[in-house]
Amino acid sequence: MADPQAKGTDPGQNVAGETPAQEPEAVTDEATVHDDDVELERTIGLGGGLAIGVGTMIGAGIFVFPGLAANNAGLAATLSFAIGGVIALLVALPTSELATAMPRSGGGYYFISRGMGTAYGAIVGLGLWLGLMFASAFYLVGLGHYASAVVAELGATLPFSPVIGVGLLFGAALTALSIGGTENTASLQNVVVGILLVVLTGFLGYGVLDALGVFGRASVPEQFFSRGHFPVLTTAALVFTSYLGFAQVATVAGEIKQPGRNLPVAMVGSVVIVTVFYVVTIFVATSAFGADRLGQFGETAMVEVARDFIGLPGAVAILGAGLLATFSSANASILSASRAVYALSRDALLPRKASEINLRYGTPHVALLAAGGPILVLVATGQVELLAEVASFLHLVMYGLMCVALLVLRRRDPEWYDPSYRVPGYPVVPVVGALASAGLIVFMQPASIGIGIVVMALSYAWYRYYAGDVALRGEI
Amino acid sequence: MTKPAVLVPIRVLEGESIPGGVPELLANAHVVLLGYHVIPEQTAPGQARMQFEERAIERLDEYETMFTEAGASVERRLVFTHDGQQTIDRTLDEHDCMAALVPNATSAVEDILVAVRGTVGSDRLAQVVAGLFGSTAATVTLYHVAADDETDEDAATLLDGLVGRLESLGLDPARIETRIDREGDAFEAIVDAAADADAVVMGETDPSLATFVFGMPADQLAERFLGPVLVVQRGRPEADGDAEDEE
Repeated sequence: MADPQAKGTDPGQNVAGETPAQEPEAVTDEATVHDDDVELERTIGLGGGLAIGVGTMIGAGIFVFPGLAANNAGLAATLSFAIGGVIALLVALPTSELATAMPRSGGGYYFISRGMGTAYGAIVGLGLWLGLMFASAFYLVGLGHYASAVVAELGATLPFSPVIGVGLLFGAALTALSIGGTENTASLQNVVVGILLVVLTGFLGYGVLDALGVFGRASVPEQFFSRGHFPVLTTAALVFTSYLGFAQVATVAGEIKQPGRNLPVAMVGSVVIVTVFYVVTIFVATSAFGADRLGQFGETAMVEVARDFIGLPGAVAILGAGLLATFSSANASILSASRAVYALSRDALLPRKASEINLRYGTPHVALLAAGGPILVLVATGQVELLAEVASFLHLVMYGLMCVALLVLRRRDPEWYDPSYRVPGYPVVPVVGALASAGLIVFMQPASIGIGIVVMALSYAWYRYYAGDVALRGEI
Repeated sequence: MTKPAVLVPIRVLEGESIPGGVPELLANAHVVLLGYHVIPEQTAPGQARMQFEERAIERLDEYETMFTEAGASVERRLVFTHDGQQTIDRTLDEHDCMAALVPNATSAVEDILVAVRGTVGSDRLAQVVAGLFGSTAATVTLYHVAADDETDEDAATLLDGLVGRLESLGLDPARIETRIDREGDAFEAIVDAAADADAVVMGETDPSLATFVFGMPADQLAERFLGPVLVVQRGRPEADGDAEDEE
């Protein structure tokens, strides 16, 4: 809680001569307090936190991956999603502890920079920003697939594939909207997530009953490991992108009310909710068609599953839900990326200018453009699987390091480290979480790993060049 | 007697400032000066702080001086928030404010209209009125709009009780007037009665559905009246108990 300068340690400065912003004096259930009389209000409740987590995640796992995953791993893709869910949970538990000890904006970046030092923090922070861009681009390409499916549904035939064009259009529109829009988008996000969960529960409930033969056409039991055992793990690595959302809750940790209770519940809760939905979805989808046919449908396989069950209304409902879900995922990721830019610039790892606020709209236009601009370039590649894996890679590095940061902090036990939630099964859970995060990376395509490593190397180079003298401390 | 704590919320970066006459009106108050800035969800509150803190503090310094020069004691907060109402409610709560001010300009502090709705909350109303205006020369008019099933005696008893309470708190009864009306719409009646006053003191509206629809929110009144409105807060259940124990 003390003034960093008073401790005789110099926080250092970056190339532009900026120093990290002062840490707050106190963190309460309702506000973060600076200099005794300046406060930052906490305005996101448990529902809002869950909506961020679930809303970010559910778009990918249900609406983009089922076809791709079934194509890779057969019915055993169910297991791939379950593995992803278990790993996400192993990381979500340590993350919850860190978040209750440091409920500040920036999430994983903040925990690692305070737990393990500025260099690790810089790599993870810049990696988080870029990783979120890859994730957003992935969601937008998914959105493009759904939009083209709508076009196809209307019977129109276009001379070209509109997938990338639609993705670019929505990417630009989302960025513009987040810069110029001042409407209450959070409550909208809550409504969207609510609608999605209702539609999916109805659809999956029908699907499960159908698969069990209630409607008189029990599906043929398929061989579980129809593609062998190894693809289960590579598929788990691919679909892990569907579990990236829980850490986005931590990027707004500074705005969550009663962080000691709401952060762990929102993070662990959203992982558990989406894992159940994913596993049931893949089970239903593969039962309806068999992995081979499902795989042929690609990104919009769920539309065909719905059509098979309920006919055209089902297909329309899932098309609409898919558009909503991918849109909300992309939106949440752009906003998280902008929070990451803010956290970095607050700590002088990026120019202060990067988190500047637009006087007209009150929005951080530089940070939002820094997130939205590169996303368009990534969308233009149209590489769904590559985008997903690079996003997962950069996040998995962060997840692994968060587990390590927890171990480091528990061993050093600095005075300021006082989490209100403590991870169960310490040290097994964080150790297994770190190993599993690292292990999943091994099963990715070489190209994804290569791009991920290049991004990390560039992040480190930037840190050495721009902010090599900056030293961040953990006191809050 | 202790100065009643009065919240003065100001949207500090949107050109809102302390309107004329307000420091004089609150000369005997403990002013809780809340400068707040509402930002959209895309922006982290800390981000707004980095950019705007200096300017906001400069303004708050200025406002604080205005209040202290008028004689009030001042405590202040600067809050960056996504939700202005939540911030106001929390500050009211944390600082045990007796009343909140809807800041509008006034030329003088001579005629104060006190809208009395019933016995509920009238004790806090009396504390605020006596605390703020007991040592001034202002005339205090206790105004009540009687309901259809309320007899003249009931209404008179209500206001007389309040006069007695104010007197015991040190307000000269010669400066207290009472007035009872029976016109149809209570809200319109208060707006009319307020026309001659320099400031209005009223209770907080019930949160129940009936008053939500037919009630008279202070903000609506302030819009019509165009002068400062002091909204006396309902005591929190536990705080109310404490306050009564102390007396």
